[in-house]
Amino acid sequence: NTHLSPEDVGVELPLEDAQRLWAKHEDSTRNLALVLTEHLRLILHPTQATRMRGDFRTGKRLNIKRIIPYIASSYKRDKIWMRRSVPTKRSYQVMLAIDDSKSMAESDSQELAFMTLALIAKSMSMLEVGELSVVGFGEQVKVAHDFSTPFTSDAGSRILQQFTFSQSKTNVQRLLTESIEMFRAARLKAAGSASDLWQLQLIISDGICEDHPAIRQLIRQAHEERIMVVFIVVDPATLSPGVASGTKQSILDLQTAEFVKDAMGEMQLKMNKYLDTFPFRYYLIVRDLQDLPGVLAGALRQWFSETVDSGT
Amino acid sequence: METSTTTAKVKIHLTTRSEDIQLPVETGPILVPTELRRYQLSTLVNTLLETVQPVPLEFLVNGQFLRTSLDEYLTQNGISAETTLNVEYVKALIPPLHVASY
Ligand SMILES: [Mg+2]
Repeated sequence: NTHLSPEDVGVELPLEDAQRLWAKHEDSTRNLALVLTEHLRLILHPTQATRMRGDFRTGKRLNIKRIIPYIASSYKRDKIWMRRSVPTKRSYQVMLAIDDSKSMAESDSQELAFMTLALIAKSMSMLEVGELSVVGFGEQVKVAHDFSTPFTSDAGSRILQQFTFSQSKTNVQRLLTESIEMFRAARLKAAGSASDLWQLQLIISDGICEDHPAIRQLIRQAHEERIMVVFIVVDPATLSPGVASGTKQSILDLQTAEFVKDAMGEMQLKMNKYLDTFPFRYYLIVRDLQDLPGVLAGALRQWFSETVDSGT
Repeated sequence: METSTTTAKVKIHLTTRSEDIQLPVETGPILVPTELRRYQLSTLVNTLLETVQPVPLEFLVNGQFLRTSLDEYLTQNGISAETTLNVEYVKALIPPLHVASY
């Protein structure tokens, strides 16, 4: 039985232990980091081939899709031309947000979360595509590493020290609200450079959060500000069905029960699969770290193709 | 601190010692609103058991009969909703009264 008070925080890891732990995770994810780096290199760097795109008043080639609206609008909507576009150099601000709530410790997700962190952080720093930050979230949001600090092994162990997996709430709404603010501030700071800035948030969590409609709203807002949010669900639950007495369970099997009013005003029990209302559009479920490079690359590739094609 | 309108949820793991009202093994923990009380939990278990005639049930959390909502129980006992609650159910010996009991 676990009693928690708001002041009750877990014990911070001594620096030496944190260094040893970080070295271990870096070591065990070294090969996978190379795989992920290669995937990301292809996705994050814009293709050099130039394409015809855009809606311009003058240009090289007619945009066929614009002709009918052009005529229908009595020739007022005259941005009917496409031009050859040259891709600009892209830079990235990537925020890793790690669930520091108590449920992470309960589901034995910390280890997989730390390994995911080591893997992604390593790849991103090898790619040298931009800045990396790490935040912890639960009841509060805490910056464990900010965008302006270079990411070294030393930084890695200091980040580990700041996670205790003892926060007594998982407030994803607050995480999103505060990270949108942080991304805005980071964009302003980067405004000097000539390159095209892309912002990406990777949330690493056991996936249990409340108030899905409000979260959906915030993700839409992030999207409008060109912040991509990918939710990485770490799901270390054993697949063996023999553990009937255990509380360990995959998020894929988690059910929710709710009472909702029916047409007659009677309260009716409604049961759903938890993931059916999961608000994140881009999410991946990771049980085995080996799968991460491939699935993460897949999600990013999809996002890029959708974003670039819609001509944002 | 802004106030949140969120309906808090908690994972519960339902168990019983009575052979005849065991849940199927694969049911696993269920995420429920913390506002649930005995009556709703009873509806939930009966639904899961697909009983024709509902069996009135009582619920024990950490050995105590649940007489409040789960939320009040958590608050009174200083337990975080991040923890999976072990909830044991037993057949109610007497028909439950529609008055508050202490
Ligand atoms: Mg949690």
